[in-house]
Amino acid sequence: MVFAHAWSNVSGKGYIKAGDEVKIMREPQESKNSGGSKAETKKKIGDGKKQMSLKAMLKQPLKTSSKKKTDNIVRLYNARGFEFGRLPQDVSSWMAKLIDLGIVEFRGKMMECPEKLSTGATLIVTADVYMLPTAFKPSNFETDQKPTVMFSEGAETLDEQMLRERKASILKLFDALNLRPQAGANFSGRKTDEEIHEEAMKKIAQRKSKKVTEIVGDGEEIEVDDGEELSENDLDAIYKKAQKSDRTMAEMEPPSTFTFTLRGYQKQALLWMHSIELGKMDAREAASMHPLWCQYAFPLPRDGDGVIDLTADEKPFYFNPYSGELSLDFPKAERKGRGGILADEMGMGKTIELAALIHTNCAPDTEQQPAEESATGPKQRQLKLSNAFKKASRRKKQPPVAVNPGRSRLPLWHGQNRLDLEDVLEDDEDRDSVIKVVLTSYGVLASEHAKSGKSSSKSPVFEIEWLRVVLDEAHSCKSRSSKTAKAVYALNARRRWAVTGTPIVNKLEDLYSLLKFLDFQPWSDFSFFRSFITLPFLARDPKAIEIVQVILESILLRREKTMLDTNGKRIVELPQKEVTVEYLEFSSVERKIYNSLFNSAKRDFQQLDAKGLIGKNYTHILAMLMRLRRAVLHPNLVLSSDDERTLPEDAEGTVDVNDLIKRFANDDEEEGSVNVFAQNALNDLDIDEEDAECPICMDIMQSPMIIPQCMHRCCKECMLTCCATAEERGEELHCPTCSRGPLNEADLIEVFRPPRSSQDPEPHVILRKNNFHSSTKLDALVQNLRKLREQDPCFRAVVFSQFTSFLDLIQAVLKREHFEQYRFDGSMDVKKRGKALEEFKAPTRKPKVLVVSLKAGGVGLNLTTANHVFMVNGLLVERRDREPRQVFLIPCVEIGAIDRVHRIGQEKTVYVKHFIVSNTIEGRILRIQKRKTAIVKEAFRSGGSGGSTDPESIENLKIMFEEDSDDA
Amino acid sequence: MALPKRIIKETERLVADPAPGITAAPHDDNLRYFDVTIQGPDGSPFQQGIFKLELFLPEEYPMAPPKVRFLTKIYHPNIDKLGRICLDILKDKWSPALQIRTVLLSIQALLSAPNPDDPLAPDVAKHYKENEKDAQRVSPRVDAAVRVRMRPSGADDRSEFSLHLFIETRHLVC
Repeated sequence: MVFAHAWSNVSGKGYIKAGDEVKIMREPQESKNSGGSKAETKKKIGDGKKQMSLKAMLKQPLKTSSKKKTDNIVRLYNARGFEFGRLPQDVSSWMAKLIDLGIVEFRGKMMECPEKLSTGATLIVTADVYMLPTAFKPSNFETDQKPTVMFSEGAETLDEQMLRERKASILKLFDALNLRPQAGANFSGRKTDEEIHEEAMKKIAQRKSKKVTEIVGDGEEIEVDDGEELSENDLDAIYKKAQKSDRTMAEMEPPSTFTFTLRGYQKQALLWMHSIELGKMDAREAASMHPLWCQYAFPLPRDGDGVIDLTADEKPFYFNPYSGELSLDFPKAERKGRGGILADEMGMGKTIELAALIHTNCAPDTEQQPAEESATGPKQRQLKLSNAFKKASRRKKQPPVAVNPGRSRLPLWHGQNRLDLEDVLEDDEDRDSVIKVVLTSYGVLASEHAKSGKSSSKSPVFEIEWLRVVLDEAHSCKSRSSKTAKAVYALNARRRWAVTGTPIVNKLEDLYSLLKFLDFQPWSDFSFFRSFITLPFLARDPKAIEIVQVILESILLRREKTMLDTNGKRIVELPQKEVTVEYLEFSSVERKIYNSLFNSAKRDFQQLDAKGLIGKNYTHILAMLMRLRRAVLHPNLVLSSDDERTLPEDAEGTVDVNDLIKRFANDDEEEGSVNVFAQNALNDLDIDEEDAECPICMDIMQSPMIIPQCMHRCCKECMLTCCATAEERGEELHCPTCSRGPLNEADLIEVFRPPRSSQDPEPHVILRKNNFHSSTKLDALVQNLRKLREQDPCFRAVVFSQFTSFLDLIQAVLKREHFEQYRFDGSMDVKKRGKALEEFKAPTRKPKVLVVSLKAGGVGLNLTTANHVFMVNGLLVERRDREPRQVFLIPCVEIGAIDRVHRIGQEKTVYVKHFIVSNTIEGRILRIQKRKTAIVKEAFRSGGSGGSTDPESIENLKIMFEEDSDDA
Repeated sequence: MALPKRIIKETERLVADPAPGITAAPHDDNLRYFDVTIQGPDGSPFQQGIFKLELFLPEEYPMAPPKVRFLTKIYHPNIDKLGRICLDILKDKWSPALQIRTVLLSIQALLSAPNPDDPLAPDVAKHYKENEKDAQRVSPRVDAAVRVRMRPSGADDRSEFSLHLFIETRHLVC
């Protein structure tokens, strides 16, 4: 019942009198053309006709206040059909919508009016509100408008606007009627912030219209929404609800075929997934009403006599304040899709949880057998998707371990010569008990999808009805328009699981793709998702997060390492992690090389800056920064290397003692005594050198070096310093002891004693040429490893670097030091990588070092056999001025890399060491408060792509170069 | 700048096991600066004489030679009026394997075997060449006279030392 302070727009007697019936109507249809194109547009939206051209829609701002006014007039007609007045703006604005949508009818009654109407006279009208049956028809946004959604990005605004207006109007109506929900969880407080909500909507509307115009101007369709990034807090809030009751969840034992022991929380996950798959109610919470709906009661009709009909049942109806849908039926919280998102934090064993699920629920659905299921079609087929081959091979490895032999078959479906999938599956149709899991990669799937798009024949992968599809690392198809994502949507599956540690990477829309894959209605419709989640979020409407929470509550399981179980213990106990930073000093030669590089880079930069060309030469600057970073690692990485000493063919450079003696003898044939001396000198090496003193540093020679011409010795470092000094002064190199010379640096022979192993107590000596140029970083690394070898003769260490060329050098130096070492990088094929890892992990009594490229090995690997990590890249150190202590913010790629070692299964303390050369670009302390310092990060990542340049990044670059000028 | 281990070791050994006829002691406030005395070797014209020297270990030591200078005036063809010494191992023949001890022993040896063919003090060298006996006779007297003259002014004249050091360096460069 509405009391409207309407006003008349005619003057004269006899139009209306109190008690008369009043028709409350919109402008009659036939006259609407007079309203001009604007009104027409509006009208048509209201009528749900969408034939109008997009252009017409886009040419004008969608929602301006002026248009609203002309549009929203609700007119009052008397019984004879004369228009005599209008309803006031505030009421008519929403009433008009409702009338236009045809979901509500108003029947008015004049309560009070002046006898003689004059223009602008106040009228008091009551109105009975009748909800028309159409209002309760199940909303058909999805079905009806899907074509429109597909049509183009811009078209979405139509739907969205309609949904929004409908919703808003109904809410206003309820407000005016003073209707309050009787039940419905998340509706409280909604009315109070209605205005805020409206404002948010307006904001969106403005923003939207702006964006849309842009698109038209460009003449092309772009993905409009670059969205706003989610802050940490937002993410926490989003997950909070989904995590609420996890702790108390029951556990479930895996079947006996599964040979791994699960942790408590993994058993919980198993139960959760199991019950979802069986279509049982959510294991966590059995909410009876759909979480987005609210229950309302029809207000009792107050008829003219004021008698209340007590016999009338108070009939509830239901309203979804988020979508604006109305319903007379009880909206059940229904789970259409069987599946969900398993989003435990990185390294918690999601894959194992899934493997357990596969074992538990390998029987086909017994209840709700769909009719279309073919009699022969075995449902024992599962498809697991992995993001790359390396992943695939890892997956391949884990499940078989977990399974009793004979119970599972794992065809790996990838690569150029992948077999016909059908054949693979048909192969052992007869063996029912076998669990079949097909492993493939996203790349394969995408290319199959592209193929079947061209030719008429579909790839079998899209035709088979899989029992279960599991997307591992599901965030790799987060972009809904990517080929991968489209291919994934095209899969036909009964149960769908998305497994990812980061369901929301940085935008709420990341989630959409997963929901789409899971076919989680109605959110799998993009227009729907956009209207109720993305846009409200952009308008900073807290409800957006609320909705996401509600969605996730039912389909997402996320646990974090720090969460506590029922006993108050952490669900994951990880050993300590000790991170240290070792600051190194350049040798004078390295410093010279670096400084000259730096200065030229700086000059370049300043010139560009002066001309204002930094933005244009962004890539060039990034390249310079990368070059500087390389110079820090090893001078040879930047010098055009025609120097053969960098990587000699025989990296070990081993020299045979006897050869040396012979050579010495040849040199001094006439002096037999010297020959004897040489022999003695060399034989001495074998016995005991530990007391020998270097003539230069007068210290015990750690790694002696021999001058082949005279067999004099001194320690390597001193000798190298001598070499450097001689070079610097332009002098020839002579033996420090006897001044014999000139010597060639590369001819010097290094005496190397491998550590004495228990099997071979005889000390033996290896002589090798000094044909390897080390660097500060390499030396530091080797020294650390040597020390480690002394403490723990069978340690396992992992060395990460970003540059594969530096990995080569590391390997060379490790080889010289006789460390057993393995390599893992992107250029290796699956087999080689697997072999390297396997060998590295194999238990032996020798120290082993794994050299990993940061890009290839930063994710996915499990290196818990090692507990020493060396990061030779240096790192970005960010200091927060406000905080008294230095706070190291290690870039997340490095953290991810460290987590390869520091993850479940690690039993020892993990030692992480970062090497930083002082006074270089590496140790630069950046007083950059904002985290989104894209340019710097990019430079320190891959550096290839030139992104956008905002003024801030240029400012950061300047800091980078200016600060260095002080200490350079 | 911390003192390299080598300098500490050398100093210890010089003190614990001095070479015959040679003393060397570092200053307390500058461990790179040594007061040195060398006895004139027997059988040389400088026999019985005690010569004061100063020795300084530069930053680059042992990659660069120590700087040594006679404080006592000496009549020697390879040592000039300012006490600078012409000795190959103090210049281009320096090797990092040489030490303070070896340097001082070399200087002692130089006193026994002057080399007028490579002079630093031309007049003395000329004297030596023309009449070696006479020159050798003069040597101790000059030495004695200087010793008397220098005593009152004190041996620890640092500013003068550094000035000479500067001159010497320039000389080397030239």
